[in-house]
Amino acid sequence: MTGLELNRRDVLNLAVAAGTATSILPVSVESAEDAASLRIVDTNISLFQWPFRRLPLDDTGALVEKLRSLGIAQAWAGSFEAILHRDITGVNRRLAAACRQHPELISVGSINPELPGWEEDLRQCVNEFRMPGIRLHPGYHGYTLTDSRFKQLLKLATSAARFVQIAATMEDTRTQHPKLVVPDVDLAPLTKLMPAIPNARVQILNARPRSPLLERFAKTPGVFFDTARVDGTDGIPKLALAAPGRVLFGTHAPFLIPEAALIRVHESGVLNESQLRAVYSRNAETFGKAIA
Amino acid sequence: MSQSIIRPGLPSPEQLKEYRIWDSYFTPSYSHPGPDGSSRLIADIERALPAIRKGQFEKLCYFPHVGTGTTTDSDYEKLARSNPNVILKPVKRWPKLLMGMIQVNANDIRVSLDAINRWVQDGPMLGVYFPGGGPGALTCTHRNVYPLVERIADLKGVIMQHTWFKTGGKQSLGESTPTELAELAAKYPNQKFICAHAGGEWQRGIRAVRSSPNILIETSGFDATAGFIEMGVRELGAKRIVFGSHLPSRSLGTELGKIIGADVSQKDRRLILGENYRSLLSR
Repeated sequence: MTGLELNRRDVLNLAVAAGTATSILPVSVESAEDAASLRIVDTNISLFQWPFRRLPLDDTGALVEKLRSLGIAQAWAGSFEAILHRDITGVNRRLAAACRQHPELISVGSINPELPGWEEDLRQCVNEFRMPGIRLHPGYHGYTLTDSRFKQLLKLATSAARFVQIAATMEDTRTQHPKLVVPDVDLAPLTKLMPAIPNARVQILNARPRSPLLERFAKTPGVFFDTARVDGTDGIPKLALAAPGRVLFGTHAPFLIPEAALIRVHESGVLNESQLRAVYSRNAETFGKAIA
Repeated sequence: MSQSIIRPGLPSPEQLKEYRIWDSYFTPSYSHPGPDGSSRLIADIERALPAIRKGQFEKLCYFPHVGTGTTTDSDYEKLARSNPNVILKPVKRWPKLLMGMIQVNANDIRVSLDAINRWVQDGPMLGVYFPGGGPGALTCTHRNVYPLVERIADLKGVIMQHTWFKTGGKQSLGESTPTELAELAAKYPNQKFICAHAGGEWQRGIRAVRSSPNILIETSGFDATAGFIEMGVRELGAKRIVFGSHLPSRSLGTELGKIIGADVSQKDRRLILGENYRSLLSR
Protein backbone atom coordinates (compact mmCIF):
# COMPACT_ATOMS: atom_id res chain seq x y z
CA MET A 1 0.00 0.00 0.00
CA THR A 2 1.35 3.45 -0.91
CA GLY A 3 1.59 6.40 1.40
CA LEU A 4 -1.05 8.20 -0.64
CA GLU A 5 -3.50 5.35 -0.10
CA LEU A 6 -2.77 5.33 3.60
CA ASN A 7 -3.54 9.02 3.69
CA ARG A 8 -6.86 8.49 1.95
CA ARG A 9 -7.69 5.62 4.22
CA ASP A 10 -7.07 7.98 7.11
CA VAL A 11 -9.26 10.67 5.56
CA LEU A 12 -12.07 8.22 5.14
CA ASN A 13 -11.78 6.99 8.69
CA LEU A 14 -12.72 3.59 7.45
CA ALA A 15 -12.62 1.86 10.79
CA VAL A 16 -15.50 4.04 11.87
CA ALA A 17 -17.31 3.91 8.56
CA ALA A 18 -17.44 0.17 8.03
CA GLY A 19 -20.82 -1.24 8.93
CA THR A 20 -22.57 2.12 9.17
CA ALA A 21 -24.24 2.11 5.78
CA THR A 22 -27.95 2.69 5.47
CA SER A 23 -29.63 -0.69 5.71
CA ILE A 24 -30.63 -2.23 2.42
CA LEU A 25 -32.47 -5.03 4.15
CA PRO A 26 -36.23 -5.35 3.68
CA VAL A 27 -38.54 -2.46 4.46
CA SER A 28 -42.26 -2.91 4.75
CA VAL A 29 -44.12 -1.34 1.86
CA GLU A 30 -47.55 -2.17 0.54
CA SER A 31 -47.20 -4.13 -2.68
CA ALA A 32 -49.34 -4.44 -5.79
CA GLU A 33 -51.90 -7.22 -5.65
CA ASP A 34 -50.19 -9.50 -8.16
CA ALA A 35 -46.90 -9.31 -6.33
CA ALA A 36 -48.35 -9.59 -2.85
CA SER A 37 -45.69 -11.92 -1.55
CA LEU A 38 -42.97 -11.08 -4.03
CA ARG A 39 -40.34 -8.67 -2.79
CA ILE A 40 -38.81 -6.45 -5.46
CA VAL A 41 -35.64 -4.37 -5.10
CA ASP A 42 -34.86 -1.93 -7.89
CA THR A 43 -31.10 -1.33 -7.86
CA ASN A 44 -31.11 1.32 -10.58
CA ILE A 45 -33.22 4.44 -10.39
CA SER A 46 -32.23 8.11 -10.54
CA LEU A 47 -33.81 11.17 -9.01
CA PHE A 48 -34.34 14.68 -10.38
CA GLN A 49 -34.31 15.88 -13.98
CA TRP A 50 -32.77 14.19 -16.99
CA PRO A 51 -30.69 16.92 -18.67
CA PHE A 52 -32.20 16.55 -22.13
CA ARG A 53 -35.96 16.44 -21.65
CA ARG A 54 -38.59 16.30 -18.95
CA LEU A 55 -39.63 12.81 -17.92
CA PRO A 56 -43.13 11.93 -16.70
CA LEU A 57 -41.77 10.65 -13.37
CA ASP A 58 -38.97 13.09 -12.67
CA ASP A 59 -40.75 14.34 -9.57
CA THR A 60 -39.53 12.20 -6.67
CA GLY A 61 -42.96 11.89 -5.07
CA ALA A 62 -44.54 10.75 -8.34
CA LEU A 63 -41.73 8.27 -8.93
CA VAL A 64 -42.07 6.76 -5.46
CA GLU A 65 -45.82 6.48 -5.90
CA LYS A 66 -45.31 4.65 -9.18
CA LEU A 67 -42.76 2.27 -7.67
CA ARG A 68 -45.14 1.50 -4.83
CA SER A 69 -47.96 0.80 -7.27
CA LEU A 70 -45.73 -1.74 -9.00
CA GLY A 71 -44.81 -3.51 -5.76
CA ILE A 72 -41.22 -2.28 -5.67
CA ALA A 73 -40.27 -2.30 -2.00
CA GLN A 74 -36.88 -0.66 -2.23
CA ALA A 75 -35.01 1.38 -4.83
CA TRP A 76 -31.35 2.37 -4.94
CA ALA A 77 -31.29 5.94 -6.19
CA GLY A 78 -28.57 7.87 -7.93
CA SER A 79 -28.95 11.37 -9.31
CA PHE A 80 -29.30 12.56 -12.89
CA GLU A 81 -27.64 15.76 -11.73
CA ALA A 82 -24.40 13.85 -11.27
CA ILE A 83 -24.02 13.36 -15.00
CA LEU A 84 -23.12 16.96 -15.81
CA HIS A 85 -22.94 18.93 -12.56
CA ARG A 86 -19.49 19.70 -11.17
CA ASP A 87 -20.69 20.48 -7.66
CA ILE A 88 -20.99 16.79 -6.84
CA THR A 89 -21.01 17.61 -3.14
CA GLY A 90 -24.24 19.54 -3.61
CA VAL A 91 -25.63 16.82 -5.85
CA ASN A 92 -25.09 14.16 -3.20
CA ARG A 93 -26.44 16.38 -0.44
CA ARG A 94 -29.69 16.94 -2.35
CA LEU A 95 -29.93 13.23 -3.15
CA ALA A 96 -29.48 12.21 0.47
CA ALA A 97 -32.08 14.75 1.61
CA ALA A 98 -34.62 13.56 -0.96
CA CYS A 99 -34.11 9.91 -0.07
CA ARG A 100 -34.61 10.64 3.63
CA GLN A 101 -38.20 11.62 2.80
CA HIS A 102 -39.10 8.17 1.49
CA PRO A 103 -38.31 4.93 3.34
CA GLU A 104 -38.10 2.96 0.09
CA LEU A 105 -35.25 5.02 -1.30
CA ILE A 106 -31.62 4.16 -0.64
CA SER A 107 -29.31 6.95 -1.76
CA VAL A 108 -26.30 6.01 -3.86
CA GLY A 109 -24.03 9.03 -4.21
CA SER A 110 -21.93 9.83 -7.22
CA ILE A 111 -18.20 10.35 -7.38
CA ASN A 112 -16.33 12.00 -10.24
CA PRO A 113 -12.65 11.18 -9.90
CA GLU A 114 -11.86 13.78 -12.56
CA LEU A 115 -12.75 16.49 -10.04
CA PRO A 116 -10.28 17.79 -7.46
CA GLY A 117 -11.11 16.59 -3.99
CA TRP A 118 -13.23 13.61 -4.98
CA GLU A 119 -11.95 11.82 -1.89
CA GLU A 120 -13.90 14.26 0.26
CA ASP A 121 -17.07 13.43 -1.69
CA LEU A 122 -16.43 9.77 -0.99
CA ARG A 123 -15.87 10.50 2.67
CA GLN A 124 -19.18 12.34 2.84
CA CYS A 125 -21.05 9.52 1.08
CA VAL A 126 -19.58 7.01 3.51
CA ASN A 127 -19.39 8.83 6.82
CA GLU A 128 -21.95 11.61 6.62
CA PHE A 129 -24.71 10.22 4.40
CA ARG A 130 -24.04 6.57 5.26
CA MET A 131 -24.69 5.47 1.72
CA PRO A 132 -24.21 1.74 1.04
CA GLY A 133 -22.52 2.37 -2.29
CA ILE A 134 -21.53 4.90 -4.90
CA ARG A 135 -22.37 5.33 -8.57
CA LEU A 136 -19.92 6.26 -11.33
CA HIS A 137 -20.45 7.73 -14.78
CA PRO A 138 -17.09 7.20 -16.52
CA GLY A 139 -18.54 7.95 -19.95
CA TYR A 140 -19.87 11.37 -19.01
CA HIS A 141 -17.00 12.19 -16.65
CA GLY A 142 -14.32 11.31 -19.18
CA TYR A 143 -12.13 8.52 -17.85
CA THR A 144 -11.65 4.85 -18.60
CA LEU A 145 -11.59 1.86 -16.28
CA THR A 146 -7.82 1.63 -16.77
CA ASP A 147 -7.42 5.03 -15.10
CA SER A 148 -5.38 4.80 -11.90
CA ARG A 149 -7.87 7.04 -10.10
CA PHE A 150 -10.63 4.56 -10.79
CA LYS A 151 -8.52 1.84 -9.25
CA GLN A 152 -7.85 4.00 -6.19
CA LEU A 153 -11.53 4.81 -5.87
CA LEU A 154 -12.52 1.16 -6.11
CA LYS A 155 -9.96 0.24 -3.45
CA LEU A 156 -11.16 2.94 -1.12
CA ALA A 157 -14.83 2.08 -1.58
CA THR A 158 -14.06 -1.57 -0.95
CA SER A 159 -12.08 -0.70 2.16
CA ALA A 160 -15.10 1.20 3.40
CA ALA A 161 -17.29 -1.85 2.63
CA ARG A 162 -19.19 0.02 -0.09
CA PHE A 163 -20.29 -1.27 -3.48
CA VAL A 164 -19.61 0.58 -6.70
CA GLN A 165 -22.14 0.94 -9.52
CA ILE A 166 -20.79 1.79 -12.96
CA ALA A 167 -23.23 3.22 -15.48
CA ALA A 168 -22.03 1.64 -18.71
CA THR A 169 -24.30 4.02 -20.54
CA MET A 170 -27.31 6.16 -19.77
CA GLU A 171 -28.87 6.28 -23.23
CA ASP A 172 -28.64 4.43 -26.55
CA THR A 173 -25.82 6.11 -28.47
CA ARG A 174 -28.11 6.32 -31.50
CA THR A 175 -30.50 8.69 -29.75
CA GLN A 176 -28.06 10.88 -27.81
CA HIS A 177 -27.92 14.63 -28.27
CA PRO A 178 -25.58 15.30 -31.21
CA LYS A 179 -23.55 17.78 -29.16
CA LEU A 180 -23.05 15.32 -26.32
CA VAL A 181 -22.32 11.90 -27.75
CA VAL A 182 -21.01 9.53 -25.08
CA PRO A 183 -19.81 6.08 -26.14
CA ASP A 184 -20.58 3.09 -23.95
CA VAL A 185 -17.94 2.46 -21.28
CA ASP A 186 -15.36 -0.20 -22.15
CA LEU A 187 -15.91 -2.69 -19.33
CA ALA A 188 -13.22 -5.20 -20.31
CA PRO A 189 -10.56 -3.79 -17.92
CA LEU A 190 -12.65 -5.01 -14.98
CA THR A 191 -11.68 -8.59 -15.74
CA LYS A 192 -8.09 -7.78 -14.79
CA LEU A 193 -8.78 -5.24 -12.10
CA MET A 194 -11.32 -7.07 -9.97
CA PRO A 195 -9.12 -10.03 -8.97
CA ALA A 196 -6.54 -7.53 -7.75
CA ILE A 197 -8.95 -5.97 -5.24
CA PRO A 198 -10.30 -8.68 -2.96
CA ASN A 199 -13.91 -8.19 -1.80
CA ALA A 200 -14.58 -5.46 -4.35
CA ARG A 201 -18.20 -5.46 -5.55
CA VAL A 202 -19.08 -3.74 -8.81
CA GLN A 203 -22.52 -3.63 -10.39
CA ILE A 204 -22.61 -2.66 -14.05
CA LEU A 205 -25.74 -0.68 -14.91
CA ASN A 206 -27.57 -0.32 -18.22
CA ALA A 207 -25.29 -2.71 -20.11
CA ARG A 208 -26.13 -5.51 -22.52
CA PRO A 209 -23.33 -7.94 -21.73
CA ARG A 210 -22.59 -10.23 -24.63
CA SER A 211 -20.31 -13.10 -25.45
CA PRO A 212 -17.32 -13.43 -25.06
CA LEU A 213 -17.04 -10.67 -22.44
CA LEU A 214 -20.03 -12.09 -20.56
CA GLU A 215 -18.29 -15.43 -20.06
CA ARG A 216 -15.18 -13.62 -18.82
CA PHE A 217 -17.25 -11.58 -16.38
CA ALA A 218 -18.99 -14.70 -15.13
CA LYS A 219 -15.58 -15.96 -14.04
CA THR A 220 -14.45 -12.62 -12.60
CA PRO A 221 -15.09 -12.19 -8.88
CA GLY A 222 -17.32 -9.36 -7.73
CA VAL A 223 -18.93 -8.33 -11.04
CA PHE A 224 -22.72 -7.99 -11.06
CA PHE A 225 -25.27 -6.71 -13.58
CA ASP A 226 -28.65 -5.08 -13.73
CA THR A 227 -31.63 -5.75 -15.98
CA ALA A 228 -32.54 -2.27 -17.19
CA ARG A 229 -31.45 -2.49 -20.85
CA VAL A 230 -31.14 -6.26 -21.30
CA ASP A 231 -33.66 -6.79 -24.08
CA GLY A 232 -35.09 -9.70 -26.07
CA THR A 233 -37.94 -11.80 -24.77
CA ASP A 234 -35.52 -14.18 -23.05
CA GLY A 235 -32.57 -11.83 -22.64
CA ILE A 236 -32.71 -11.52 -18.85
CA PRO A 237 -33.15 -15.28 -18.26
CA LYS A 238 -30.18 -15.97 -20.52
CA LEU A 239 -28.06 -13.50 -18.57
CA ALA A 240 -29.29 -14.84 -15.22
CA LEU A 241 -28.43 -18.40 -16.22
CA ALA A 242 -25.03 -17.40 -17.62
CA ALA A 243 -24.11 -15.47 -14.48
CA PRO A 244 -26.03 -17.11 -11.60
CA GLY A 245 -26.52 -14.89 -8.56
CA ARG A 246 -25.11 -11.86 -10.32
CA VAL A 247 -28.13 -10.31 -12.00
CA LEU A 248 -29.87 -7.69 -9.86
CA PHE A 249 -33.17 -6.21 -10.87
CA GLY A 250 -32.91 -2.60 -12.09
CA THR A 251 -35.22 -0.42 -14.17
CA HIS A 252 -33.28 2.77 -14.99
CA ALA A 253 -36.47 4.62 -14.08
CA PRO A 254 -37.58 7.27 -14.64
CA PHE A 255 -35.60 7.46 -17.91
CA LEU A 256 -37.06 4.08 -18.85
CA ILE A 257 -40.58 2.95 -18.04
CA PRO A 258 -40.27 0.69 -14.95
CA GLU A 259 -42.87 -1.81 -16.18
CA ALA A 260 -40.50 -2.74 -19.02
CA ALA A 261 -37.85 -4.44 -16.90
CA LEU A 262 -40.41 -5.87 -14.49
CA ILE A 263 -42.12 -7.75 -17.32
CA ARG A 264 -38.94 -8.80 -19.11
CA VAL A 265 -37.76 -10.82 -16.12
CA HIS A 266 -40.75 -13.17 -16.25
CA GLU A 267 -42.32 -12.90 -19.72
CA SER A 268 -40.54 -15.85 -21.35
CA GLY A 269 -41.41 -18.32 -18.60
CA VAL A 270 -37.82 -19.57 -18.65
CA LEU A 271 -36.99 -18.83 -15.01
CA ASN A 272 -38.58 -20.83 -12.20
CA GLU A 273 -39.96 -19.24 -9.06
CA SER A 274 -36.70 -19.40 -7.14
CA GLN A 275 -34.76 -17.90 -10.03
CA LEU A 276 -37.33 -15.13 -10.42
CA ARG A 277 -37.12 -14.27 -6.73
CA ALA A 278 -33.34 -14.22 -6.97
CA VAL A 279 -33.41 -11.64 -9.76
CA TYR A 280 -36.18 -9.52 -8.28
CA SER A 281 -34.59 -9.21 -4.84
CA ARG A 282 -32.49 -12.00 -3.36
CA ASN A 283 -29.38 -11.26 -5.41
CA ALA A 284 -29.58 -7.60 -4.44
CA GLU A 285 -29.89 -8.46 -0.76
CA THR A 286 -26.95 -10.84 -0.98
CA PHE A 287 -24.94 -8.20 -2.82
CA GLY A 288 -25.80 -5.69 -0.12
CA LYS A 289 -25.14 -8.00 2.82
CA ALA A 290 -21.78 -8.98 1.43
CA ILE A 291 -20.54 -5.45 1.78
CA ALA A 292 -22.68 -3.81 4.45
CA MET B 1 -46.73 -19.07 -5.17
CA SER B 2 -46.76 -20.68 -8.60
CA GLN B 3 -44.66 -19.27 -11.38
CA SER B 4 -47.76 -18.23 -13.28
CA ILE B 5 -48.74 -15.59 -10.76
CA ILE B 6 -45.30 -13.99 -10.59
CA ARG B 7 -46.08 -11.44 -13.24
CA PRO B 8 -45.27 -7.96 -11.90
CA GLY B 9 -45.69 -5.05 -14.25
CA LEU B 10 -48.44 -6.60 -16.34
CA PRO B 11 -52.11 -5.64 -16.21
CA SER B 12 -54.50 -8.48 -15.42
CA PRO B 13 -55.16 -11.06 -18.16
CA GLU B 14 -58.71 -9.75 -18.33
CA GLN B 15 -57.50 -6.20 -18.93
CA LEU B 16 -55.05 -7.36 -21.59
CA LYS B 17 -57.79 -9.30 -23.38
CA GLU B 18 -60.01 -6.26 -23.25
CA TYR B 19 -57.33 -4.22 -25.06
CA ARG B 20 -57.60 -6.61 -28.06
CA ILE B 21 -53.91 -6.32 -28.92
CA TRP B 22 -52.92 -6.51 -32.58
CA ASP B 23 -49.18 -6.36 -33.11
CA SER B 24 -48.10 -4.56 -36.29
CA TYR B 25 -44.41 -5.38 -36.03
CA PHE B 26 -43.54 -8.98 -35.21
CA THR B 27 -39.97 -9.86 -36.25
CA PRO B 28 -39.18 -13.55 -35.80
CA SER B 29 -35.92 -14.49 -37.54
CA TYR B 30 -36.01 -11.08 -39.11
CA SER B 31 -33.09 -11.33 -41.52
CA HIS B 32 -33.44 -14.93 -42.72
CA PRO B 33 -36.12 -17.61 -42.20
CA GLY B 34 -33.63 -20.47 -42.37
CA PRO B 35 -32.13 -22.29 -45.33
CA ASP B 36 -35.24 -24.46 -45.76
CA GLY B 37 -37.43 -21.37 -45.82
CA SER B 38 -39.09 -21.67 -42.44
CA SER B 39 -37.21 -23.55 -39.69
CA ARG B 40 -35.55 -20.56 -38.06
CA LEU B 41 -38.67 -18.51 -38.47
CA ILE B 42 -40.87 -21.10 -36.81
CA ALA B 43 -38.35 -21.62 -34.01
CA ASP B 44 -38.33 -17.89 -33.33
CA ILE B 45 -42.14 -17.72 -33.34
CA GLU B 46 -42.16 -20.53 -30.78
CA ARG B 47 -39.59 -18.62 -28.75
CA ALA B 48 -41.97 -15.65 -28.68
CA LEU B 49 -45.11 -17.63 -27.85
CA PRO B 50 -44.86 -17.42 -24.03
CA ALA B 51 -44.77 -13.62 -24.25
CA ILE B 52 -47.50 -13.55 -26.89
CA ARG B 53 -49.73 -15.63 -24.65
CA LYS B 54 -48.84 -13.68 -21.53
CA GLY B 55 -49.68 -10.47 -23.37
CA GLN B 56 -52.97 -11.95 -24.61
CA PHE B 57 -52.20 -10.84 -28.18
CA GLU B 58 -54.97 -11.52 -30.69
CA LYS B 59 -52.91 -11.16 -33.85
CA LEU B 60 -49.39 -10.39 -35.02
CA CYS B 61 -48.08 -9.23 -38.38
CA TYR B 62 -44.69 -10.44 -39.57
CA PHE B 63 -42.66 -9.65 -42.69
CA PRO B 64 -41.73 -12.68 -44.79
CA HIS B 65 -38.92 -12.63 -47.32
CA VAL B 66 -40.58 -13.75 -50.55
CA GLY B 67 -37.67 -13.83 -52.98
CA THR B 68 -37.41 -10.15 -53.87
CA GLY B 69 -33.74 -10.03 -52.94
CA THR B 70 -34.13 -8.91 -49.34
CA THR B 71 -31.72 -11.54 -48.02
CA THR B 72 -28.10 -12.14 -48.96
CA ASP B 73 -28.76 -15.85 -49.59
CA SER B 74 -29.22 -16.53 -53.31
CA ASP B 75 -30.26 -20.14 -52.67
CA TYR B 76 -33.05 -19.00 -50.37
CA GLU B 77 -34.17 -16.32 -52.83
CA LYS B 78 -34.55 -18.98 -55.54
CA LEU B 79 -36.40 -21.29 -53.16
CA ALA B 80 -38.81 -18.55 -52.13
CA ARG B 81 -39.66 -17.69 -55.73
CA SER B 82 -40.04 -21.29 -56.86
CA ASN B 83 -41.88 -22.74 -53.88
CA PRO B 84 -44.38 -20.39 -52.24
CA ASN B 85 -45.45 -23.12 -49.84
CA VAL B 86 -42.34 -22.57 -47.72
CA ILE B 87 -43.44 -18.99 -47.20
CA LEU B 88 -46.92 -20.00 -46.17
CA LYS B 89 -45.83 -22.50 -43.53
CA PRO B 90 -46.08 -20.17 -40.51
CA VAL B 91 -49.44 -18.75 -41.60
CA LYS B 92 -50.79 -22.25 -42.11
CA ARG B 93 -49.52 -23.35 -38.70
CA TRP B 94 -50.93 -20.35 -36.82
CA PRO B 95 -53.77 -19.19 -39.10
CA LYS B 96 -55.69 -17.31 -36.41
CA LEU B 97 -52.63 -15.66 -34.94
CA LEU B 98 -50.46 -14.55 -37.86
CA MET B 99 -50.80 -12.00 -40.62
CA GLY B 100 -48.14 -11.07 -43.12
CA MET B 101 -46.78 -8.16 -45.13
CA ILE B 102 -44.13 -9.03 -47.65
CA GLN B 103 -40.67 -7.51 -47.68
CA VAL B 104 -40.08 -5.70 -50.97
CA ASN B 105 -36.88 -4.55 -52.60
CA ALA B 106 -37.10 -1.21 -54.33
CA ASN B 107 -33.75 -1.89 -55.95
CA ASP B 108 -35.58 -4.45 -58.12
CA ILE B 109 -38.88 -2.95 -59.24
CA ARG B 110 -39.95 -5.77 -61.56
CA VAL B 111 -39.45 -8.58 -59.05
CA SER B 112 -41.10 -6.54 -56.29
CA LEU B 113 -44.14 -5.70 -58.46
CA ASP B 114 -44.49 -9.38 -59.31
CA ALA B 115 -44.33 -10.23 -55.64
CA ILE B 116 -46.94 -7.60 -54.76
CA ASN B 117 -49.27 -9.06 -57.37
CA ARG B 118 -48.58 -12.60 -56.20
CA TRP B 119 -48.86 -12.03 -52.47
CA VAL B 120 -50.98 -8.93 -51.91
CA GLN B 121 -53.35 -8.93 -54.91
CA ASP B 122 -53.93 -12.67 -54.68
CA GLY B 123 -53.43 -12.86 -50.90
CA PRO B 124 -52.95 -13.73 -48.16
CA MET B 125 -50.52 -10.88 -47.44
CA LEU B 126 -51.94 -7.52 -46.39
CA GLY B 127 -49.29 -5.09 -47.52
CA VAL B 128 -45.59 -4.48 -47.84
CA TYR B 129 -42.60 -3.73 -45.65
CA PHE B 130 -39.78 -1.53 -46.90
CA PRO B 131 -36.68 -2.58 -44.94
CA GLY B 132 -34.09 -0.18 -43.58
CA GLY B 133 -31.09 -2.48 -43.97
CA GLY B 134 -29.79 -5.37 -46.01
CA PRO B 135 -29.77 -5.75 -49.77
CA GLY B 136 -33.44 -4.74 -50.10
CA ALA B 137 -33.09 -1.32 -48.50
CA LEU B 138 -33.44 1.84 -50.53
CA THR B 139 -34.15 5.31 -49.19
CA CYS B 140 -37.88 5.87 -49.55
CA THR B 141 -37.53 9.11 -51.51
CA HIS B 142 -35.86 7.23 -54.40
CA ARG B 143 -37.99 7.21 -57.55
CA ASN B 144 -37.88 3.39 -57.65
CA VAL B 145 -40.21 3.39 -54.67
CA TYR B 146 -43.01 5.24 -56.48
CA PRO B 147 -44.33 2.43 -58.73
CA LEU B 148 -44.39 0.08 -55.77
CA VAL B 149 -46.35 2.54 -53.65
CA GLU B 150 -48.76 3.14 -56.53
CA ARG B 151 -49.42 -0.57 -56.95
CA ILE B 152 -49.97 -1.02 -53.23
CA ALA B 153 -52.34 1.93 -53.27
CA ASP B 154 -54.30 0.30 -56.10
CA LEU B 155 -54.63 -2.82 -53.97
CA LYS B 156 -55.49 -0.83 -50.82
CA GLY B 157 -52.57 -2.47 -49.03
CA VAL B 158 -50.69 -1.22 -46.01
CA ILE B 159 -47.16 0.19 -46.20
CA MET B 160 -44.74 -0.18 -43.30
CA GLN B 161 -41.51 1.79 -43.80
CA HIS B 162 -38.54 1.22 -41.49
CA THR B 163 -37.24 4.56 -40.20
CA TRP B 164 -34.55 5.84 -37.87
CA PHE B 165 -33.02 9.18 -36.98
CA LYS B 166 -29.56 8.15 -35.79
CA THR B 167 -27.24 10.51 -34.00
CA GLY B 168 -24.26 10.88 -36.32
CA GLY B 169 -26.32 10.10 -39.40
CA LYS B 170 -27.28 7.04 -41.39
CA GLN B 171 -25.26 3.86 -40.93
CA SER B 172 -26.06 2.61 -44.42
CA LEU B 173 -27.18 4.27 -47.63
CA GLY B 174 -30.52 2.49 -47.86
CA GLU B 175 -31.88 3.76 -44.54
CA SER B 176 -34.82 6.16 -44.40
CA THR B 177 -35.71 8.86 -41.92
CA PRO B 178 -39.18 10.04 -40.90
CA THR B 179 -38.48 13.27 -42.78
CA GLU B 180 -37.93 11.28 -45.96
CA LEU B 181 -41.08 9.28 -45.35
CA ALA B 182 -43.01 12.55 -44.94
CA GLU B 183 -41.66 13.62 -48.33
CA LEU B 184 -42.86 10.36 -49.91
CA ALA B 185 -46.22 10.48 -48.15
CA ALA B 186 -46.87 14.00 -49.46
CA LYS B 187 -46.91 12.58 -53.01
CA TYR B 188 -49.61 10.04 -52.09
CA PRO B 189 -52.06 11.79 -49.75
CA ASN B 190 -54.66 9.04 -50.08
CA GLN B 191 -52.28 6.26 -49.07
CA LYS B 192 -51.55 5.53 -45.41
CA PHE B 193 -47.96 4.89 -44.36
CA ILE B 194 -46.67 3.48 -41.08
CA CYS B 195 -43.46 5.06 -39.82
CA ALA B 196 -41.80 2.08 -38.13
CA HIS B 197 -40.06 2.88 -34.82
CA ALA B 198 -41.22 6.52 -35.01
CA GLY B 199 -37.68 7.25 -36.09
CA GLY B 200 -36.14 5.69 -32.95
CA GLU B 201 -35.22 9.15 -31.68
CA TRP B 202 -38.91 9.85 -31.39
CA GLN B 203 -38.80 13.51 -30.44
CA ARG B 204 -37.50 14.30 -33.91
CA GLY B 205 -39.52 11.51 -35.50
CA ILE B 206 -42.85 12.75 -34.20
CA ARG B 207 -42.06 16.31 -35.29
CA ALA B 208 -41.05 15.10 -38.76
CA VAL B 209 -44.40 13.44 -39.47
CA ARG B 210 -46.61 15.77 -37.44
CA SER B 211 -47.90 17.59 -40.53
CA SER B 212 -48.46 14.39 -42.54
CA PRO B 213 -51.94 13.13 -41.64
CA ASN B 214 -51.48 10.00 -43.76
CA ILE B 215 -48.56 8.81 -41.62
CA LEU B 216 -49.02 6.74 -38.45
CA ILE B 217 -46.12 5.96 -36.15
CA GLU B 218 -45.25 2.46 -34.93
CA THR B 219 -43.98 2.10 -31.37
CA SER B 220 -41.27 -0.61 -31.29
CA GLY B 221 -37.55 -0.86 -31.86
CA PHE B 222 -35.92 1.26 -29.16
CA ASP B 223 -35.63 1.29 -25.37
CA ALA B 224 -38.76 1.92 -23.32
CA THR B 225 -37.95 5.60 -23.03
CA ALA B 226 -40.48 7.44 -20.92
CA GLY B 227 -42.57 10.20 -22.44
CA PHE B 228 -42.74 8.80 -25.97
CA ILE B 229 -46.40 7.84 -26.04
CA GLU B 230 -47.39 10.97 -24.14
CA MET B 231 -45.70 13.15 -26.78
CA GLY B 232 -47.14 11.06 -29.61
CA VAL B 233 -50.68 11.41 -28.28
CA ARG B 234 -50.17 15.12 -27.66
CA GLU B 235 -48.74 15.94 -31.08
CA LEU B 236 -50.38 13.39 -33.40
CA GLY B 237 -53.38 12.12 -31.49
CA ALA B 238 -53.79 8.52 -30.36
CA LYS B 239 -55.40 7.56 -33.67
CA ARG B 240 -52.06 7.94 -35.45
CA ILE B 241 -50.14 5.46 -33.28
CA VAL B 242 -49.97 1.67 -33.76
CA PHE B 243 -48.40 -0.85 -31.43
CA GLY B 244 -45.53 -3.11 -32.45
CA SER B 245 -43.76 -5.75 -30.35
CA HIS B 246 -40.55 -6.44 -32.28
CA LEU B 247 -40.66 -9.86 -30.60
CA PRO B 248 -38.60 -11.86 -29.94
CA SER B 249 -35.47 -9.77 -30.50
CA ARG B 250 -37.09 -7.10 -28.35
CA SER B 251 -39.61 -7.93 -25.68
CA LEU B 252 -43.12 -7.77 -24.32
CA GLY B 253 -41.75 -5.75 -21.42
CA THR B 254 -40.04 -3.10 -23.48
CA GLU B 255 -42.73 -2.73 -26.10
CA LEU B 256 -45.99 -3.29 -24.23
CA GLY B 257 -44.47 -1.38 -21.32
CA LYS B 258 -44.34 1.76 -23.46
CA ILE B 259 -48.12 1.72 -23.81
CA ILE B 260 -49.30 0.44 -20.44
CA GLY B 261 -46.77 2.56 -18.57
CA ALA B 262 -47.66 5.78 -20.37
CA ASP B 263 -49.77 8.47 -18.78
CA VAL B 264 -52.60 8.27 -21.32
CA SER B 265 -56.25 7.28 -21.14
CA GLN B 266 -57.53 3.73 -21.42
CA LYS B 267 -59.36 4.78 -24.58
CA ASP B 268 -56.06 5.88 -26.09
CA ARG B 269 -54.42 2.59 -25.07
CA ARG B 270 -57.16 0.64 -26.85
CA LEU B 271 -56.66 2.69 -29.99
CA ILE B 272 -52.90 2.23 -29.96
CA LEU B 273 -52.87 -1.45 -29.02
CA GLY B 274 -55.31 -2.61 -31.66
CA GLU B 275 -58.16 -0.42 -32.87
CA ASN B 276 -56.06 1.78 -35.13
CA TYR B 277 -54.35 -1.14 -36.82
CA ARG B 278 -57.62 -2.97 -37.37
CA SER B 279 -59.07 0.17 -38.95
CA LEU B 280 -56.07 0.47 -41.25
CA LEU B 281 -56.34 -3.14 -42.39
CA SER B 282 -60.05 -2.92 -43.04
CA ARG B 283 -59.80 -0.01 -45.49
